[in-house]
Amino acid sequence: MLAFVLKRLALTGLMLFGLVCITFVVSNVAPSDPAALAAGPDATRDMVETIRREYGLDRPLHEQFLRYVAGLLQGDLGRSIVTTRPVSVDLARYFPATLELVLLSMTLGVLLGVPLGMASAVLKNRAPDHLTRFVAVSLVALPAFWFGILLQLLFSVHLEWLPTSGRLDVATPPPPPITGMILFDSAVAGQWATFRDAVSHAVLPALVLSFPCLASILRVNRAEMIEVLSSDYVTAARAHGVPPLRVVCVHALRNAMLPTLAIIGLRWGWMLGSTVLVETVFDWPGIGLYAVSAAIAGDFKPVMGVTLLIGLNFMIANLVVDILYGVLDPRLRTSS
Amino acid sequence: MQDFTIGRRGAIGAGLGAAGLLAAPRVLRAFERDGNRKILVFAGGQPVPVLDPHVRYDWSTRMIQQSVYDALAKYVNDPPQIVPWLAERWEASPDQRVWTFHLVGNARFHNGDPVDAEAVRYSFERGLRLNKGVAWMLKDVLPPENIQALDARTVRFTLTRAMPSFLTYIPMWFIVNPRQVQANIANNDYGEGWLTTNAAGSGPFRIRRFEPQSVIHLDTVPDYWKGWPMGEQRRLSGLIYRIVREPAARRALLQRGEADIITEIPADDFEVLRTMRGIRPEDHRGMTTFAITMNTTRGPTADLNVRKAIAHAMDYDALIQIHNGAATLMTSPFPEQIPGYIPVPGMPRRNLDLARQFLARSSHPNGGFELEYVHVQGLEDPRRIGLALLNSLQALNIRVNIVAQPWPTMVARGSRAETAPDMVSVYVTPVSTDPDVIAGKYHTRAHGNFWGMHHLTDRQLDQWVDAARVETDEARRNALYADIQRRIVEVQPEIFGMLANRRWLMRDYVRGFAYCPLRLTGEIDTYPLWIDAA
Repeated sequence: MLAFVLKRLALTGLMLFGLVCITFVVSNVAPSDPAALAAGPDATRDMVETIRREYGLDRPLHEQFLRYVAGLLQGDLGRSIVTTRPVSVDLARYFPATLELVLLSMTLGVLLGVPLGMASAVLKNRAPDHLTRFVAVSLVALPAFWFGILLQLLFSVHLEWLPTSGRLDVATPPPPPITGMILFDSAVAGQWATFRDAVSHAVLPALVLSFPCLASILRVNRAEMIEVLSSDYVTAARAHGVPPLRVVCVHALRNAMLPTLAIIGLRWGWMLGSTVLVETVFDWPGIGLYAVSAAIAGDFKPVMGVTLLIGLNFMIANLVVDILYGVLDPRLRTSS
Repeated sequence: MQDFTIGRRGAIGAGLGAAGLLAAPRVLRAFERDGNRKILVFAGGQPVPVLDPHVRYDWSTRMIQQSVYDALAKYVNDPPQIVPWLAERWEASPDQRVWTFHLVGNARFHNGDPVDAEAVRYSFERGLRLNKGVAWMLKDVLPPENIQALDARTVRFTLTRAMPSFLTYIPMWFIVNPRQVQANIANNDYGEGWLTTNAAGSGPFRIRRFEPQSVIHLDTVPDYWKGWPMGEQRRLSGLIYRIVREPAARRALLQRGEADIITEIPADDFEVLRTMRGIRPEDHRGMTTFAITMNTTRGPTADLNVRKAIAHAMDYDALIQIHNGAATLMTSPFPEQIPGYIPVPGMPRRNLDLARQFLARSSHPNGGFELEYVHVQGLEDPRRIGLALLNSLQALNIRVNIVAQPWPTMVARGSRAETAPDMVSVYVTPVSTDPDVIAGKYHTRAHGNFWGMHHLTDRQLDQWVDAARVETDEARRNALYADIQRRIVEVQPEIFGMLANRRWLMRDYVRGFAYCPLRLTGEIDTYPLWIDAA
């Protein structure tokens, strides 16, 4: 297992380097002049040149690349030309918000998707199954941008049940920062009013972000459960008088969970990347919003930083899934 | 297979639980409060990435800067006027090269330090040496060593040449506390790193919380040196600028009472909301010009007769309709509020016969060509204007290819004559009342800037613009600007469009709103605002 993990870690490094190359090339082939944009519309040519020099944009492209890679090796992701701060500082500021949202959404997706998939498999081809599958397909198909606004109009404007956007009420001071995740930090600080406020703000964005994930988990889990429930060992368990709930929840689910785990791993990376739309609609100040603002301003160091961070998360998630595969299925452990 | 059912009691319980979960955080309120005082919430779509007043300005950034810093003078009213602020008076030498400002004696920075002449000198020097943001306004005429603090309350600027417009830029130069800045310098950066997220000002507000992407919470300064126009009793506790990118979300915030003022409102939403109970519209004539700039060096639009034909074929009524009537057609390249403005005779309006006559005189008498019209991706009004242009030019047998591009791409393309699109939609907001700000758009030195995407080269125009900017006699200066306006229309580097209204929606308890068209797009003056409600 250790050799397997080490091999995967080495591959992760290679993949990250590939990602660095791709993001650098894509960022620099785009016809844009970040220095001119940062200098502002009224800036004179020498003012633009001042900024270009300050950010090393006057150097040849290959030199810029080598400097960037050298910086990365020391943990330096460069400096944002818009915020003028190091990208790593900005990411440290915005990533916890995204992580909080993704964790919430993933939790919702798993907690709802797995049981619904099981129920759907057990009630195969009956009305609840059809309804669940219809809802699952709809949830995948709904554009997050549109659906988010729709939920805002319903729950915030018409019903006035939930806040419209943001992470906290504007007049609510955030809890003392520990992780940057307000739910966690306010709970640790015992600030329950802040915690409740944060929960009410998180409900809609977390729901919107969780739906595609929930639907994928549900569909995969349903398919696997149907296959497992018709296998010989499940029949044998039933014949031995094992209670039906135990057959489904223990015997069948364990084997059906393997592909579901793979989906969860994939969805983790996907969700980090797709927070862009949700964060924009709900003004959730995470890395998605940060990346969008930077891209609009032609500020590529933050875009590259966010891409690398998401890529790294994707790879780590896959690695964790691979390891969990081994834990859940002893045959895989032996073969590896 | 074993059937699994959920009991009725379980289903009801689950339903009530879900409903309770959703219903629990129900919010119904008016404005935010802080003890006995009120907090005003303003929602706009643009973040404030950098607070440093000498590094960057755009509408949201300048609004916050204006709230926490003071300048020697300030723009107020409509039409815009410059009124004394940190300076109680000033005088210029007859040749308008030497400007002397006399400071008020009671101004204090937020930490208690006096705002003295040295602070003013330091702030201007800092802005010029950083060579960013506001530097372009004065850098050609004001070497840093030509700023002198004559005594604690007198500062003198000696310009290298006459600059009649000097005073019009002064409200954009905010004064920072040198002691605080010096204490936070790193790597000879003039405190730039620190001032990005911190303030060292003397303005009516101080920073409580600065989240550049989401919330900026300002507290009023109780003993603000200039006092409070609404009186101490009515003074706000603070002001929150909330960044909400989606217009639909901003609208929802206003309706729910989560925001007291919103801006950047789509025309259709504005019409719906303005009549709602408890909501008051502010709808004022703006100074932001909209034009469709044409490439004067390349392709069919290099031909003056083609440009004239296009300008006379354009359906100008459509520009007003797109804004639901909240816009005014330009009658000159200058907005009306700019000194020296004249309504230019012969300003093109839709006249297809005349358009065909111009086209017949061009190198493409029968049309039959295609022009690219580029607008900023995601902006609805310029896209619809593109459709109006497409319809208009069909009458001349000219096809229009409407292309949406990201702002950085559009600007990069337009910076060179070879790559600049045939036609581009351009909004320009003047930062001062100096006519040179507008006239300079048509000078050859504008090439490379986004408003210079026409790449027009007209020696006569250049000569007049250069002469006008140093002319100290007002009558002669105005005469030159009249010539400049007529000449710009004559050479037709763009289709002169409209001045869209500036619009805000606010709760009817908001008082003190004072419009000044010289503020940038959604910017408001936060100082006089208060809430009149129990």
